[in-house]
Amino acid sequence: MKIGLEMHFQLPTRSKLFCSCPTAPAEPNHNVCPVCLGYPGSRPALNRKALEAGLSIARFLDCKIEERVWFSRKTYFYPDLPKNFQITQYESPLGTDGHFDLNGRRIGIWRVHLEEDPGRIKRVGRSGEEIAFVDYNRSGIPLVEIVTAPDLTSPEEARALIDQLVTELRSLCGLEAQDEQTVRVDANLSVGEERVEVKNVQGLRNLEKALRFEANRQSKLLAAGKKVVRETRRFDEERKVTTSAREKETEEDYGYIGEPDLGEFRIGEMARNLELKETPLARAKRLVASFGIGEATAKQLVLTSHSLTDLFEELCLHVPPERAVSWTTGPISGNWAVLQDQAKWPDIVRIVKDDSEGLINDTEAKRRILSLAGVQQEAAVEGGDGLGKLISDFIDEHPEVLADYRKNPKAANTVIGHVMKESKGRYSSREVVEGVRKELEKRV
Amino acid sequence: MSDTYGLIRYAQTKHLAFTEVAEGLEDGKFHFSAKDNLCADGFQARAGSAVLDGYSPPFDATCIGRMKGSGGQLVGKTTMDEFGFGTFSTNSAHGVPLNPFDRERSCGGSSGGAGAAACLIPGHIALGVSTGGSISGPASFCGVVGLTPTYGRVSRYGLIDYGNSLDKVGLLSRSASLVARHFRTMAGPDPKDPTSCAQPALAGKGRMPSSLAVPREALQNLDPSVRSSFQEALGKLKGMGMEVHEVSMGSLRFALPAYYILATSEASTNLARYCGMRFGRREEKFDQHFNDFFTGVRSEGFGDEAKRRILLGTFCRMVGFRSRYYLKSLAVRQLLIEEYRKVFRDHDAVVTPTMPFVSPRFEEIGRMKPLEMYGADVLTVPPNLTGMPHISVPCAYVAGLPVGMQMVADHWKELDLLEAASAWENVFEYRFPEVSL
Ligand SMILES: [Zn+2]
Repeated sequence: MKIGLEMHFQLPTRSKLFCSCPTAPAEPNHNVCPVCLGYPGSRPALNRKALEAGLSIARFLDCKIEERVWFSRKTYFYPDLPKNFQITQYESPLGTDGHFDLNGRRIGIWRVHLEEDPGRIKRVGRSGEEIAFVDYNRSGIPLVEIVTAPDLTSPEEARALIDQLVTELRSLCGLEAQDEQTVRVDANLSVGEERVEVKNVQGLRNLEKALRFEANRQSKLLAAGKKVVRETRRFDEERKVTTSAREKETEEDYGYIGEPDLGEFRIGEMARNLELKETPLARAKRLVASFGIGEATAKQLVLTSHSLTDLFEELCLHVPPERAVSWTTGPISGNWAVLQDQAKWPDIVRIVKDDSEGLINDTEAKRRILSLAGVQQEAAVEGGDGLGKLISDFIDEHPEVLADYRKNPKAANTVIGHVMKESKGRYSSREVVEGVRKELEKRV
Repeated sequence: MSDTYGLIRYAQTKHLAFTEVAEGLEDGKFHFSAKDNLCADGFQARAGSAVLDGYSPPFDATCIGRMKGSGGQLVGKTTMDEFGFGTFSTNSAHGVPLNPFDRERSCGGSSGGAGAAACLIPGHIALGVSTGGSISGPASFCGVVGLTPTYGRVSRYGLIDYGNSLDKVGLLSRSASLVARHFRTMAGPDPKDPTSCAQPALAGKGRMPSSLAVPREALQNLDPSVRSSFQEALGKLKGMGMEVHEVSMGSLRFALPAYYILATSEASTNLARYCGMRFGRREEKFDQHFNDFFTGVRSEGFGDEAKRRILLGTFCRMVGFRSRYYLKSLAVRQLLIEEYRKVFRDHDAVVTPTMPFVSPRFEEIGRMKPLEMYGADVLTVPPNLTGMPHISVPCAYVAGLPVGMQMVADHWKELDLLEAASAWENVFEYRFPEVSL
């Protein structure tokens, strides 16, 4: 199976792509002006911040970046599109020919480009008597489109790609947290020879469902000796099926011309001078390489907190990496709310160093760390029993969690969250996770 | 002052130069008008099209804002061909302007109303817009000075687009000095129009051209009276101490088709937004499918020439034709720029007649086919396609009708053209029709 994705993410700018209207949510049609309403006489001026964000994404994905780029008009008639053309990039994207490493596999990135979002249509009223309202607040919101090669081999992998990409882009340029739900994806999928495009799928969950359905549909057709028709299909969120969109449009049918109002942008210099932040997964990779720790541990660290990872790297200057791992993922992360205060870090480093050099024993070291975190030693020593009681009390009071857990082991997170909160950091996250798992398994 | 207002009303009622005029004149201000495709707060901006009936933009075009800021009063909006689509201002939904010298004849287009206003009202400055010759043409037929600046010299913010890579805001008036003064007011970068931000600053004074080139190819297919008038004018230029040389510019013949392809390609996307939903003409038939709704508004709202150019432009952008027409035309534009540059190595300006004939009668225009009409732009299109500044000045009168002469200079050299036009006024006396109120 081959899957390629075209993902659209909103870029984190305060104003729209071609005007100064705010991007923040508002009452319908409040964040609009002559430019994003396409009033005759108005014209676009590019938001530099959006260009910078787009370029850092192109560079992060290791794309080839041309010296100069321009924009294009994609013309089609639709009520949510104020000018009846969309300003996008066609012949001249920000970046081409890059890649993203997905769990060690190289996924090709064909292109990265900027474009404006259309407005939104809301339909109200009973079927047959529907009224359609158009809200142009989103008209002109800056989007980045990222197109992958058809290198993905399963719906799960497609989902994992977006998941990891969002994590990386969030820390790279501040993509919004809800992007897993709002990402808009066009996917193409082929089980046999012919590929089918599934258009306009919103959110990760729907994407996985749409792709599963489509993979299944194609496999059945092929198994029955039938042919898969090359076409565009849409995903019906309610019925959870894809249906033929009966569209013949190819990209060329949009009659692209250059956007004459914006001219050319010299981006080579700008792209080279951008300082890229180290993203979590790239950092995890570096930790594995430089400290020889396990990949899972490295990921756990970077996904927990950027600054916890900073402390880990600091500790590694003084003690062997495995000691640094056990302290940072143990008692330190358990009390991170307090210990993230950098004024406490020199003391932490000294305690861990003393322990590692045998000047004090583990129990004493842990006592000192906890006291640094303001946790009484008694509470910690009472340890296991208090934790066990917290866990079993909560499960007793919430039998539905146990029921959920039978279906989906992720339900354990509800218990873990509760206990972490209740115990206010008396136990390390590892202790809590293990305790909860054990208790739940016992009862299942 | 009241005389001026009387003349404005006269130009509006007798010559249909204005679509709307101000209710009165303000003391202590100079007076200017704007072509109806320039947006101004307080006036409709309909660009000669019924599809824009009722559109009152909530903002001033940058050029209008700057004119107001330097003490000007906008006294009215001038009639024009729909969206600038025309050479005679006959494609107008809001009245066809009548030539100041002969009401049976055309003012030229598409800034026809601007040409008539500039001619009929002494001291008046009319803002026009040129895409393929829409300032030079009316200046020639109405016997006034018309400056089309370099593409990107005057901000297009607030201009209702025809072909964005070709549109230029310029000025028409009875004298070069008046044009020069207000050109300085309007020129200069504007962040609201990124294409205006790459311009060099205006110099203090222009350099008088001393060597002129006359392309042989431009002298073909001229009306005999225009040809002899032009030859006479060349003699006067020599008398002013200028050298005049005949040159060959073989690519000029590609300019017209390339221009019509680029202009209509862009126009067909610009006009997509007129669908009756957000501004201008609307119908209350909301129970239809949006496609039918849009089609209804566009069928009723656009005139024939607008429909012709939408079809032509859409065709040129289509699969299979795009590289043959649209992309090739972009290449022709570059070729032509290079050809002009070559001439400008040895010469300061290229000079030709502005139009191949004097203003025709409306009945003659009525018999012309679209291609013959497009052909009338053969001399004005090349500098427009290359974005080079040009000026048209009256250079003769044939049977009481003005003949225009056009000078083209290299990018950003408007002031050189204005120097030449000012000097020309010392050797050739302009005539204007007598108006009795
Ligand atoms: Zn806006």
